[in-house]
Amino acid sequence: MSTNPHDMPRREGAFEREPARRVFAAELRECRYQFKDGEDEKSPTFVLLPSGERSNRIFIVGTLTEKTRQGEQNMFYRGRVVDPTGTFFVMAGSYQPEAMQQLAKIEPPQFVAVIGKPNLYQKPDGSWLVSVRVESITVVDMDTRDIWVLDAAKHTLDRVDAFAKEPTPDILKAKEQYPTIDPSLFRKIAYDALAQIKI
Amino acid sequence: MDYSEAANRISRKFAQGGQTPDVKKIEGKLRRLVDEFGVQPSEAERSVISELSKEYNLPAPGSGGSSGAGGSGGGTQEKKIAEGVPGEWVTIEGKIVALSAPASPSIAQSGIIADESGAIRFVVWAKSNAPAMAEGSWYRIESAVVDEYKGVANLKVHSGTTIKEITEDRSLIPAPAPIRDLRPGIGSVRVKFVQEWEANHERMLQSGLLGDESGTIKFVIWKEPGKERLVPGAVYSIFYAQVDEFNGRLSLNLNAATILQEEGEIAVSGGESTFTGAIVHIAPGSGIIKRCPVEGCNRALSRQNYCPVHEIQPKFVYDLRIKGWLDDGEKTHNILIQRDVVEALTGISLAQAQEIAENNPLGMDEVFLQMRDAVLGRYITCHGREIDGRLLVNKCDKVAFASSDHTALLNRAGGAPS
Repeated sequence: MSTNPHDMPRREGAFEREPARRVFAAELRECRYQFKDGEDEKSPTFVLLPSGERSNRIFIVGTLTEKTRQGEQNMFYRGRVVDPTGTFFVMAGSYQPEAMQQLAKIEPPQFVAVIGKPNLYQKPDGSWLVSVRVESITVVDMDTRDIWVLDAAKHTLDRVDAFAKEPTPDILKAKEQYPTIDPSLFRKIAYDALAQIKI
Repeated sequence: MDYSEAANRISRKFAQGGQTPDVKKIEGKLRRLVDEFGVQPSEAERSVISELSKEYNLPAPGSGGSSGAGGSGGGTQEKKIAEGVPGEWVTIEGKIVALSAPASPSIAQSGIIADESGAIRFVVWAKSNAPAMAEGSWYRIESAVVDEYKGVANLKVHSGTTIKEITEDRSLIPAPAPIRDLRPGIGSVRVKFVQEWEANHERMLQSGLLGDESGTIKFVIWKEPGKERLVPGAVYSIFYAQVDEFNGRLSLNLNAATILQEEGEIAVSGGESTFTGAIVHIAPGSGIIKRCPVEGCNRALSRQNYCPVHEIQPKFVYDLRIKGWLDDGEKTHNILIQRDVVEALTGISLAQAQEIAENNPLGMDEVFLQMRDAVLGRYITCHGREIDGRLLVNKCDKVAFASSDHTALLNRAGGAPS
């Protein structure tokens, strides 16, 4: 309880949209921990990034290299979006009709911007897959891709720096869930991604 | 359990507040609870106190100063007004800076009392038989209760409260706060009347937007004898206005405030803000829309050309807009882009959009799709005014690849871990 009514935070009555995190494929691939914030059926689901930040939504820009249509009655599209560090697996099903139509129209290879929600799956062989359920996918130019690499590198470095400093509850959780991952690895990954941009 | 001892203790507690509870009755109640119902003595005592509090219209003593005072003198603490926390019994000294008409017959007086630390609304219950306080005078109010009403701290004067007028001459100069720092309760500001809005209620005298260097806030004045309208463009010092909150947004109710017109000028920030990020969502209702042509209405029409106020409007006016979300990776901002900025950003003019809407089989949807494909996922910088959590964009630039950022990030990533 606050001791002074003037310290009380201004209550947020308005809806706050979950921000779209910037993360390289090489980091997202390492996610193994997914949780719900709250007991409610509608509570958002988060994937915990190894660098210690929760993400309900991500924004990625890369090259759509491949897309496949799957299923008969429950048709959906899968795609592979490649950034300088690895591959994102994206999918859009009949619950995302707008995203599915967008993805259906794009002929790879193309630079694409994807807004979507990361989800964790464990495959029958026990290996893990992080898949991105597409909310929206549009064709963009190479400039946008390059700006995204800078953006993703900046946020990755911010997270790695924060990880080494004062631990937030999510950073503590990441240390517990990913004991074998040293986030300074992502600094190197960011460097390599930046170095691939030709000036 | 010594019932008479406990009953005396409880009775003394209420006697301090000016009540005269029947000691025998208290003792009887305690005895009944403990002997007949097997209630724990401490719980019985709590229950009797709570019952009496209800009877005398006092809030039940909680964690605040009164419980556990155990009859020792002065159960409440002397405090500055700003330090009062809901649930606490307090003694304060302050000046009555406003009196307002009681909202109910059970209220004798209501208004605002202030000291140099701040101000708080107060309510004097009719049952309390408290002496009437005069606006502009100073009083010492002992053993009143701070509670919360509609999320705002409020001082309750009940029958246990003693009020003494302070006759010595004290001065009180309220300090205006920046609009950005206002919190629900009472606030003083120095502002410019930026924009007058149409009164949308018959009891409303005036409403509009006030601004200072830190931002803007909506205000309202309700019709009441003696209330005067503010002059648009003028600068005012407003003391002890009521800061209300609705849906997370603040507004000022000026009815009880002291308003002084001032000389000078204020450079109103107008909530001017700039955000850079990627457009992560284009909301329905973006693209080309039809607006109601009735003078002063301008509402967006439904697909059937229906205005919520003026019904079917076949002679609508076309307009362009984009509603969406701009996201910088940490926070997502609601943006509303107006026509000329939409034209510049999408490369589709209103005339072209109208041509598509009227000739393409998909009609207005085709404009939406083309605009979505042109801007979604792109990095832009938006300038505009932020009102009610939404940025009204009046200028917008595409972000270009900056090789200086690239070099700086390479250095940062290649450098030794910090």
